[in-house]
Amino acid sequence: MKVALFVPCYVDQFYPQVGIATYQLLGKLGVQAAFPAAQTCCGQPLANSGCEREALPIYKHFVDTFQDYDYTVVPSGSCVYHVQKHFDKLEQTPAVQHVRATTIDLIDFITNILEIKELPGSYPHKVGLHLSCHGQRGLHQANESEMTPVRDGQLRRLLAGLGGIELTELDRNDECCGFGGTFCVSEAAISGRMGHDRVQDHVRNGTQVLTGGDMSCLMHLQGIVRRQKLPLQVLHAAEILNGLTS
Amino acid sequence: MSYLTHASRAEAFNLDHERTSWHDETLWFVRQKRDKAVYAVPEFQELRNLASAIKDHTLSRLDEYLAQFEAAAQTNGVRVHWAADAAEHNAIVLDIIRARGATRVVKSKSMLTEECHLNPYLIKEGIEVIDTDLGERIIQMRDEPPSHIVLPAIHLKKEDVGATFFKHLGTAEGLTDPQQLTEAARQHLRAKFLAGEVALTGVNFAIAETGSVVVCTNEGNADLGVSLAPVHVASMGIEKLIPRLSDLGVFTRLLARSATGQPVTTYTSHYTKPMPGREMHIIIVDNERTQQLGRPDFRASLKCIRCGACMNTCPVYRRSGGHSYDFTVPGPIGSILSPNIDLKKHSTLPFASTLCGSCTDVCPVKIDIHVQLYKWRQIVSEANHLPTAKKIGLKFMGRLLASPTAFKLSGSFGRRALRLLPYGLTHNQTVNAWAIARELPEPPQQSFREWFAQQPQPAT
Amino acid sequence: MSTARDRILAAARANKPAETPLPTVPDFWGDNSLERFRTVLASIGGEVTRLASLDDLEATVHELWPDAKLIASPLFTPTLRIDQHTPTDVLADVDLAVLPVEFGVAENGAVWLPEANMLHRALPTVTQHLAFVLDQRQLVATMHQAYARLPDGPGGYGMFVAGPSKTADIEQSLVIGAHGARSLVVLVY
Repeated sequence: MKVALFVPCYVDQFYPQVGIATYQLLGKLGVQAAFPAAQTCCGQPLANSGCEREALPIYKHFVDTFQDYDYTVVPSGSCVYHVQKHFDKLEQTPAVQHVRATTIDLIDFITNILEIKELPGSYPHKVGLHLSCHGQRGLHQANESEMTPVRDGQLRRLLAGLGGIELTELDRNDECCGFGGTFCVSEAAISGRMGHDRVQDHVRNGTQVLTGGDMSCLMHLQGIVRRQKLPLQVLHAAEILNGLTS
Repeated sequence: MSYLTHASRAEAFNLDHERTSWHDETLWFVRQKRDKAVYAVPEFQELRNLASAIKDHTLSRLDEYLAQFEAAAQTNGVRVHWAADAAEHNAIVLDIIRARGATRVVKSKSMLTEECHLNPYLIKEGIEVIDTDLGERIIQMRDEPPSHIVLPAIHLKKEDVGATFFKHLGTAEGLTDPQQLTEAARQHLRAKFLAGEVALTGVNFAIAETGSVVVCTNEGNADLGVSLAPVHVASMGIEKLIPRLSDLGVFTRLLARSATGQPVTTYTSHYTKPMPGREMHIIIVDNERTQQLGRPDFRASLKCIRCGACMNTCPVYRRSGGHSYDFTVPGPIGSILSPNIDLKKHSTLPFASTLCGSCTDVCPVKIDIHVQLYKWRQIVSEANHLPTAKKIGLKFMGRLLASPTAFKLSGSFGRRALRLLPYGLTHNQTVNAWAIARELPEPPQQSFREWFAQQPQPAT
Repeated sequence: MSTARDRILAAARANKPAETPLPTVPDFWGDNSLERFRTVLASIGGEVTRLASLDDLEATVHELWPDAKLIASPLFTPTLRIDQHTPTDVLADVDLAVLPVEFGVAENGAVWLPEANMLHRALPTVTQHLAFVLDQRQLVATMHQAYARLPDGPGGYGMFVAGPSKTADIEQSLVIGAHGARSLVVLVY
């Protein structure tokens, strides 16, 4: 199986440790991922701002970069959602169709392609799981409160299987954090308020480590945690899963 | 002409932190009631599929169903009128009122008449128009537009209502008990009902096969108004049609559960024929709806049954209030309807969303609201209604991100700049909106790609 | 010059999408028990009271509403006669209306009240208090079966009524008795 790692642009620059954790975790699970150096971005920031047309060269570049791999694994459901859903604007060549079908979120890849449902190790902390909307509602990686009261999902299951872990039960299990790409600056007041409310839900319910599968939401939430000097550690799930000691 | 953006109005709303919390929690409470009602119906998702398919089908034969509906209504002794736009609609209403020599009109909730700005038109013509829904009456006294399509006065606290009733109804100063305030409104409005000469209503559903219009209320104000007044005028958009009476089985099960979490509205009233000696009129209104029907990406917005669930669930709406949208229908559904009416004026509304998708998932007729928001953004941009600075920045970003070399250079440059520049500059809130509520990430020494390049590579 | 009607219909014809099928709605049968009906009605502010038989109706009404002076009903000799010509000022004084309903819906506590059972169209909403009389064998589970009970259509005017008039327009505080009936009891026999 030929697997490429796509490291989202902001992760590459600001959260290299998340890329490293993803790469190392895949290695531990028997997958030697390649990192095609020509990669840039999936184009989502432009497209979500209404500049889909300007993003088309980026889409093409993404497809060129990853078309030769069986899977392109991404530690961010948001980028995956964008590739799967919005690359419909490209001419649907076999390469485009292949890349759209095989670009996959890290946790989804572990759960459904590697079929690993449990990881050995313990993590004796109270962990609050932030469900990112694109992974949850977009890629159906977790149940939605709009449909069912049952709180379930891929990452929740992986985390729940760890020794000594306690998962925070939030008042609002899956409310958006307010990052929203360029929304975070174009609607800064609402974005900040939404992030504040999400963080407070975790504080109120005792989260020690705030985690999730999408670093963009976590970057936003971490910015609030640090501004408010709250005693919360923010980690991408790959960092937790890669750092397990069994 | 320049318009205020949603963001600027939302920012103003957010200045009162506690009140924003209250608004958010009040609407979240409604969302939770909705969830409880939805979970209790095992076939709820199947009902959504059915409702969506029935509406899709109806739109695909809309001209035929409109004609069928008109013929059935006329057979029932109803006078059917057609209005291409708001002005025609308002003129028809006035003609009906004048023909009767009437001056006192009681009106139940109708977003269409809000859309047509009927009240100010009639009042200018010397007609007394009384909104009889409690929430509508409150905001009418305050001369405010509704902030929600189901809960028009949801932006007000009971203290606000108490002050309004003290001023307009002479209730005791400082009265804030909802029970007593409602009783005061009941007494005040009962006199209006008893004196009403013409009753105006909206329409929730229009049944093509029977020519009936169906109106759903909890207060009973539509029925009380219509059954006491000699003339009933029902205003409906062309999209209110459903083919069969039995289709109401699907829609009445979805509407109230989605709206407020009730199993059904208190009154589900079917108006088919006028009483002997009385008049019933139906005004069928287009007002840009056929234009929206002709937009393949956006026509599904016409399936909306005005339950308001997308507002209650929207994390942006809950924290910015209905007035921040400056459109008759606020919230996510309003943000996909309004650009059809005036793209420039409402150009910021498709951006008043994180695209979280919760609106789509609560929608009882499965309108792909967040997908349409994304698509309207493209149209706003193509029409050059993006703020100039944003547009230039995004164009630059596009070129940068399509080039690996430029991307690599700019990334490391940006990261180093962030590390070296003083905090006061990087976190200056007038140039960096990110920093208003958040710290910037701490720039690391090395990017991932720099780290990776140093790793021993396995033989391939 | 073409009329608004012609222009709207022409635009709808020109702009409508390709035809999609009209689905058949399954029956969705469910619990049609009196217990279910009672529980749901109680949750929306109404109540169910058992009548030993229809013969007890008048006595039960006077027992349950001892203060009601002006009572309208087609089911026993009323204290106030109402028909479709009754003027508004008389209607305005009705304390209690006791009306027969055709069937009840267990999933939502609603009952079907056709025009023929209302005496006057305004009576069900103008009366201060409302009592419905329902044969407990006439309960259906869901709204699908409810509409199936109306093969000849809804009549000139007809309504499903689920509980007393209510509003939550002030801060989402539920208040019973907005403009219509302040209370609703379904007398079941």
